[in-house]
Amino acid sequence: MNCEELIRYLSDYIDRELDEELRADAQEHLATCRNCRVVLDTTQQMIFLYRRTGRRAIPAERRGRLFRRLQEAFQGSGTGTTADQAA
Amino acid sequence: MADDAAILQALRAGDASALAALFDAYADRLYRLALGLLRNPDEAEDVVQETFLKALTHLDRFEGRSRLSTWLYRVAYNASIDRLRRQGESALPSDDRETEETGAVPLPQVLVEWRTPEEILIDAEARAALDEAIQALSESLRAVFVLRDIEGLSTAETAQVLGISPGAVKVRLHRARLALRERLALLFAGPPGGQGR
Ligand SMILES: [Zn+2]
Repeated sequence: MNCEELIRYLSDYIDRELDEELRADAQEHLATCRNCRVVLDTTQQMIFLYRRTGRRAIPAERRGRLFRRLQEAFQGSGTGTTADQAA
Repeated sequence: MADDAAILQALRAGDASALAALFDAYADRLYRLALGLLRNPDEAEDVVQETFLKALTHLDRFEGRSRLSTWLYRVAYNASIDRLRRQGESALPSDDRETEETGAVPLPQVLVEWRTPEEILIDAEARAALDEAIQALSESLRAVFVLRDIEGLSTAETAQVLGISPGAVKVRLHRARLALRERLALLFAGPPGGQGR
């Protein structure tokens, strides 16, 4: 496997979707090619960084407003009953 | 899956606490997808509202053929794309379409190691760069990256949400990852001050 092929298979390698033979070829190339190792490491690091920072919650104010509007729609639709109404 | 089924059943029975469960389970995820596509918090909020309202009005028709999560993502995705189209943005720029078909991906150019994730995460400039880089992606790549790598959907689920083939999901994800890596590489090069610029 050369660098160009390694890069083509990089995402499949990261996602463990290569068959055993290709995976072994990729590992062999990575063992001897610093450049491809850097690309692999930094790509995995990039994914990790987005996982850590990308999972944000809706800001509280927006969240509260949204939920109240949905509650009103749910109750207004006739399907919904609240504890208050039931009481 | 069992949870979704229980939530749906309770919603059909008019149980208001099930609405809170549905909202807690999906509101953040749908908001992140819509915000990632629209880049506008107000519009993202509208999309989330539309999505839940549609879910509530289609309760009786939802038969669980696909997972509830996939269905909700799909509604939110389509609502976001509709808005973008109305704003005049094409869902798939022509440059994407061409390279997607040939499968050609530009080779990485910046081949330096990065600072550690811990160092990057405490650097406000670096965190801002993460946001900017993802927003610089075309919307078709952004949607795939958000669903696969941030939200953790499978290739098959992502394909269902976006209405494209699993193969197209894989090609787009690969292109998105390489593009993001390349864009961030100089700024994240380590040690601090030793590389880049
Ligand atoms: Zn190489």
